[in-house]
Amino acid sequence: MRSILVTGASRGIGLSIARRLAAGGDRVIAVARKRGAELDDAIAAAAATSGEIGFKAFDLSEVGAIPAFVKELRGEFGPIFGLVNNAGIGTEGLLATMHNSQIEALVRLNVLSPIILTKYVARQMMADRAGRIINMSSIIATTGYRGLSVYGATKAAAAGFTRSLAREVGQLGITVNAIAPGFIETELTGNLSEGDRERIAGRSALRRLATPDDVAATVEFLLGEGGTNITGAVQVIDAGNTA
Amino acid sequence: MSIRLKIISEMQQIAREQNITLPPLDDDLPLQSTSLDSLGFAILVARLEDELGRDPFTIADEAAFPLTIGDFVRAYENVPA
Ligand SMILES: NC(=O)c1ccc[n+]([C@@H]2O[C@H](COP(=O)([O-])OP(=O)(O)OC[C@H]3O[C@@H](n4cnc5c(N)ncnc54)[C@H](OP(=O)(O)O)[C@@H]3O)[C@@H](O)[C@H]2O)c1
Repeated sequence: MRSILVTGASRGIGLSIARRLAAGGDRVIAVARKRGAELDDAIAAAAATSGEIGFKAFDLSEVGAIPAFVKELRGEFGPIFGLVNNAGIGTEGLLATMHNSQIEALVRLNVLSPIILTKYVARQMMADRAGRIINMSSIIATTGYRGLSVYGATKAAAAGFTRSLAREVGQLGITVNAIAPGFIETELTGNLSEGDRERIAGRSALRRLATPDDVAATVEFLLGEGGTNITGAVQVIDAGNTA
Repeated sequence: MSIRLKIISEMQQIAREQNITLPPLDDDLPLQSTSLDSLGFAILVARLEDELGRDPFTIADEAAFPLTIGDFVRAYENVPA
């Protein structure tokens, strides 16, 4: 059974990814700070499939604790085949009035933490000469949105990290890709008004919003046979919002 | 197996996988002259962490990577597992 580490898997997009992978027969290691009722349900549901979901509580902004955390995972679950760097925060704010501590927290969780986590997980993949890494970017990395300059910077970082790391580890059989979702209804976008939501859907070629499961399906594809020769790519999933 | 022997045999294993020939691995041989590239060293550090349970380059205060084979081996010998 392949082990796939999915960060931020307690709700939203990460939870959809965990559900789908477990249904397909994978062992998912779900990481978040708190477990939550939705994940409880998913863990119970996964027990009836050929896959499974295990939960590990960890605060990914504790960057210094990441090496020991990865070592612990390796000891408990064995080799990790896939890493999905999905955990992230979407703090909004006009740059001029954002608190420096908010800016720092955004960069720490969305940029520093996945890079350090990837460093330690990828080293094990290098020793095993196989692995798949998927980073969560956003269409905000390439389009602008008022109030999301810092968030946009962190998501552009994810895409840049993806392309260069793909070059570094390609010859070892490890692929590195990014997914750039458009607006997906989750808690992260929960404070969007009904009007905003309609406006975004109306601007999309397909006149609707993409869903967490759309993102999960792409993760499944990239981790599977179809993803064998895809690396350094950024897949947009936005129902044609940026088309 | 001593730490030194473990390191040398892993280096030889990686050299075989990458189809390169290593020169004699004397203590004062600069790592740069081993013909292992940076990726080769990254694989080496990852495998040694797996086998020896230690990674001197994560816990060290200074970020300097050793210069010679002897320095590299000592870096591993001098950390508690
Ligand atoms: N929703 C969208 O429209 C959209 C669009 C483009 C990109 N994205 C990206 O997709 C990813 C997931 O977004 P989402 O909408 O699913 O977010 P979400 O619903 O807010 O879920 C975030 C997840 O991350 C975890 N998390 C947050 N802080 C953490 C920390 N310090 N340590 C460990 N886990 C932490 C949360 O669990 P805990 O709080 O329990 O820790 C939760 O499981 C993010 O990277 C986001 O930037 C989302």
